[in-house]
Amino acid sequence: MFKHIIQRLCSTILLLLAVSFFTFWLMHATPGNFFDSLRLNPQISQETVARYEKLYHLNDPLLVQYGHWVINILHGEWGYSFYYNVPVTHVLGSRLFNTFILSFTSLILTWGIAIPLGIWAALRRNQWVDRILSVFSFAAFSTPSFFLAVLVLYWASRWGGLPLGGMHSPNYDDMSIVGKIKDTALHLVIPASVLSLSAMASLQRIMRGNMLGVLRQQYILAARAKGLPERVVIYRHALRNAFNPLVTLLGYEFASLLSGAALIEIVCSWPGLGSLLLTAVRAKDVYLVMSSTLLAGVLLVMGNVLSDILLTWVDPRIRHAKGK
Amino acid sequence: MQKASNHNSRTQLAFASFRRNRVGMLCLWTLVILYGMAVFADFICPYSYQDEDRNFSYCPPTAVELMDQGRWVRPFVYGRALTFDAVHRRVYVIDQTQRYPIRFLKGGRLFGVDAPGRFYWWGADARGRDIFSRIWYGARISLSIGLLGVAISFILGLLIGGIAGYYGGWVDTVLMRLCEMFMMIPGFYLMLALRAAVPENFNSVQVYLSVVVILALIGWASLARIIRGMALSLRERDFVLAAKTLGVPDIVIIFKHILPQTLSFSMATLMLTVSSYILAEAGLSVVGLGIQDPVPSWGNLLSDAMGIVPVIFAPWILLPGLFIFIAVMCFNVVGDSLRDAFDPMFSGDSQ
Amino acid sequence: MPPNKLFIGFFIFCLISWAFIAHASSDHYGGSLVIATSSDPKTFNDIVSTDANSGAVTSLLFEGLTTADPFTLKVIPDLARSWDISPNGLQWTFHLREDVKWSDGTPFNADDVVFTFNDLIYNPDVPSSSKDVLTIDGKLLKVEKIDDHTVRFTLPVKFAPFLRAMSQSILPKHCLEEAVKQKKFSFAWGIDTPPVQIIGTGPFILSEYHPGERLVFKRNPYYWKKSQEGESLPYLDKVIYLIISSPEAQLLKFIDGELDATSVSGPDYPLLKPLEAQKNFHIYDAGADFGTRFITFNQNPGSNPNSHKSFVDPAKLSWFTNLNFRRAIAHAIDKKKIIEILNNGFGQAQNGPMSPSSGFFYDPHVTVYDYNLEKARMILKQAGFDDRQGSGIIQDPQGHPVEFNLLTIATDDPLEQQLAYIIRSDLEKLGMKVNLVPLEFNSLVNKLTSSFDWDAVIIGLTGGVEPHFGQNVWASSGGLHLWNPHQPKPATAWEARVDEIYDQGAQELDENKRKVLYDEFQRIVTDQLPVIYTVLNTDMYAVRNKFGNLKPTVNGGAFHNIEEIYIMRHPERSEE
Repeated sequence: MFKHIIQRLCSTILLLLAVSFFTFWLMHATPGNFFDSLRLNPQISQETVARYEKLYHLNDPLLVQYGHWVINILHGEWGYSFYYNVPVTHVLGSRLFNTFILSFTSLILTWGIAIPLGIWAALRRNQWVDRILSVFSFAAFSTPSFFLAVLVLYWASRWGGLPLGGMHSPNYDDMSIVGKIKDTALHLVIPASVLSLSAMASLQRIMRGNMLGVLRQQYILAARAKGLPERVVIYRHALRNAFNPLVTLLGYEFASLLSGAALIEIVCSWPGLGSLLLTAVRAKDVYLVMSSTLLAGVLLVMGNVLSDILLTWVDPRIRHAKGK
Repeated sequence: MQKASNHNSRTQLAFASFRRNRVGMLCLWTLVILYGMAVFADFICPYSYQDEDRNFSYCPPTAVELMDQGRWVRPFVYGRALTFDAVHRRVYVIDQTQRYPIRFLKGGRLFGVDAPGRFYWWGADARGRDIFSRIWYGARISLSIGLLGVAISFILGLLIGGIAGYYGGWVDTVLMRLCEMFMMIPGFYLMLALRAAVPENFNSVQVYLSVVVILALIGWASLARIIRGMALSLRERDFVLAAKTLGVPDIVIIFKHILPQTLSFSMATLMLTVSSYILAEAGLSVVGLGIQDPVPSWGNLLSDAMGIVPVIFAPWILLPGLFIFIAVMCFNVVGDSLRDAFDPMFSGDSQ
Repeated sequence: MPPNKLFIGFFIFCLISWAFIAHASSDHYGGSLVIATSSDPKTFNDIVSTDANSGAVTSLLFEGLTTADPFTLKVIPDLARSWDISPNGLQWTFHLREDVKWSDGTPFNADDVVFTFNDLIYNPDVPSSSKDVLTIDGKLLKVEKIDDHTVRFTLPVKFAPFLRAMSQSILPKHCLEEAVKQKKFSFAWGIDTPPVQIIGTGPFILSEYHPGERLVFKRNPYYWKKSQEGESLPYLDKVIYLIISSPEAQLLKFIDGELDATSVSGPDYPLLKPLEAQKNFHIYDAGADFGTRFITFNQNPGSNPNSHKSFVDPAKLSWFTNLNFRRAIAHAIDKKKIIEILNNGFGQAQNGPMSPSSGFFYDPHVTVYDYNLEKARMILKQAGFDDRQGSGIIQDPQGHPVEFNLLTIATDDPLEQQLAYIIRSDLEKLGMKVNLVPLEFNSLVNKLTSSFDWDAVIIGLTGGVEPHFGQNVWASSGGLHLWNPHQPKPATAWEARVDEIYDQGAQELDENKRKVLYDEFQRIVTDQLPVIYTVLNTDMYAVRNKFGNLKPTVNGGAFHNIEEIYIMRHPERSEE
């Protein structure tokens, strides 16, 4: 099992390098030397500009610049945000955490609701429950999420009770730890549920499909013939096999959640990586754009690795194969 | 060359099964209608997409009058003028002295009224542009972007997936790692980053093409993986081995034998990809980075509606959202039905 | 003494002392005010800040020697208790208050005043925005300490706006002199400074700053001002600025109760007005805004000293410096419809640099450009701009097609976006090709004030009662002279005349003679069109009814007397 993980890690590092090079190349495709305009900004000291020019070797060929950028990243030097007038790391940290909270909560919501619903639909195939869920699922993943978010925000403003956007209440700093957690949770309700909705819908259908496929298999027939109670048949045998393939999806689920989160963050004013990226793009803040994209990639990679490990743990076939 | 007649009749069976699926067919026909309306937008829309009349900002849908003093007459509309009420709400007061009969088939358009009258069947936007017209001109952009993007993604996916699957070995490993790299970058982030690199002075056509390319780049990787899976299994088939024995060059085998088969299998995935591209374009336009005003796309039409005030006082501005929903839903249903129709074959070929 | 008299005496004594106690320990203390700001401040350094968002933050933290009475607009004492004027009007001696302390407890004294002027504002290494306003006829004011609580200003010539200019914020010497010595003052007190280091004399101090989220200010325990009853101010415990970039979100948060006040735009009005009773707030109409909103074109002939690339393409420069080009564009601004569409019918056309709200110095008799595309086309044709190649885009006399980039502030508000779209639509009807480039506000400010690489921009500036305070905009050497800033000497005859007017106007003490000068200035601006005005908004704000001492004014807004504002225990509508 360890060998597998190490292999995975190696390939992910290679992948990260490739992602970062791609973003780097992209940013340098933008015309104009960024630093010329910076030099004229009186609020950015000449020393800062000179320091970053030196760090990034702007007069060297692209590959050399990239090499320096990578080395700098590894040293914790992620560049300077000229929009916020602080090093990039000052801005990224909290934003990353916020996006992570949102995505993770959505992930739990999605899986926590979609799996049971998928099983339920499979067990009641073609009955009214299944049909209704089917219609809802299609509707849910056909609606543009940002549109849904605006409608939900508007409806919530009429109804009251839920905070409308943002992550903290104005008096957050005065709250106790418990209060803070409750406050953040309340603010999570709208963005996380809108975000989860379409992911839930597709996952539910996949789970249903898998379940149905498994229930057709011979060993299920055999288990029933053996006289095992239906509950055992379904939850011990069928479920496990229907569920395993989904774990491979976990990584990609996280990717699409992260991506979907960006737009929801913008609409719901959630201070995360996505809304940071939008501001950075609009401000043409080059290093911030690169770092945010890279960071999103890192987050994703970690999600993938975790899901791989989870898969190995969950699926005995892989475990035993690796053991050989 | 021996055709895999086995396979072809399976494909035919699958399509026949799809045709029996009523919901799927209904959605397919809806899509045909949507695309048809888009193609004939010049004819069916009373106004061009940039025809603005600032005197009619947020004018509600114009009612068609059929009765005049108790008698049936040819349909017409009344003139309207803008006033503000006590709380500064916009109210369009009907002026019964001004009548504009609806003209049919005049000036190359299906219906319309003569100037200075305006006929807003589905209401007007902030600058007095007809929503009905803008939705159908916008359909041209939104629906075509999806197709074009998928076409490019598919070609990329075919090339990379086909080659990877057919050759296997280290070629396969390298190419699949490349795919994973692309799949790993969260789509929206990639879109924003790519969009930041597009120069400011691009005209609308260039922006359109940039958006198409950006969309294609975020989606080709998953297509490639699916095609690679199919190619992997197809290369073991008899007809391929036969072709190889006969000395047919690899590239010809890939293009003539393997790839056409993958098309039918990938149809379902293609449909689903189109729907995700339509949503992606809408997302990009809503933050102002997609298609730019005045060219309409359903996405940027919807960005006009992203405000409490328009939603409350001019709810017709939300209609493009309905069309996005319908188009995406139809693509999803068709894709899903195709997948069901091909299902028996899929379970045999799954990795 | 008979028991009942004693009892009555005691009873009366209790009553009276209870009244005193109730009065002295009033229940005015406590609570917070939550308002919104649309973007992060760029800096906490009041001396170098150029944008209104940073200004909104620093206005809570710092004070000046004088301030303006929000009702009468007259200058009243603030950090200075009183002042004497020498007979020739050139020496002003300010007697500082002796009970003022900085928020870290250090006493405030004349050293701080002298430091602020001599070492900060007049420091050649510091890009201070007030330097131009406080330079008269090229000469600086002489500022000297007489004793710990007395400062003398010696003016080179008479300076009419002098007293009003003394509202300039004073910064603490003991905190910043190190930075000045090391020539690092311009980056001192940037937004990543720990809040506890920002020291001022104002009613509040910065307690927390979460970028992109909120700024929290808490009561300055050393604040010197007391209420009329002798209570120490401010009453509020906290002021919280939520950073909400979308006006939409601000509106929603006000409706759901998170914000205590919000500005109300024209389109929001029909939504908010009916909710007044239910949500317990009131909408105040403050009249025409003081600020301006205009299009301006880059007439800067210079080039980037590092890359040697000129700021503006030479062909474009020839158009932008052509008065007829600008006149044609002035005839293409559809002000009436912009008011209807953008502002929902509120507001008025803006024709000149001063707003009717400015009162005395406002001149309505300026050159007005009506919306007339035919006239615009004719002017362009006569100037040699015509579509000779039949491409649909007009060309200048040298054959270059007229295409340029129009920068705007990036916004998600679909109605705000309409301003740029409407203008572009009309310019395209004239045959020009206009590319809209939305940029984040702070990046836009950078382009306009430091890198200068832009073509055209739609932007606004704040305004006020005293025309002289626009000097950094209108003097040719000014930093906010957007179309061609920091000129070593005036580039055109009219700019030279405006420089003269500003110098003379500052020194003329007779208000009526000043008015003549500034009227001429307003007419010059509208004749020469360095900027092309669009529309003037009506300032409205909605404030919850729970605040006492709320005295909204046209000039100061709702919270100009923030130190006096308190939360009423039994809310009632305050007097307007």
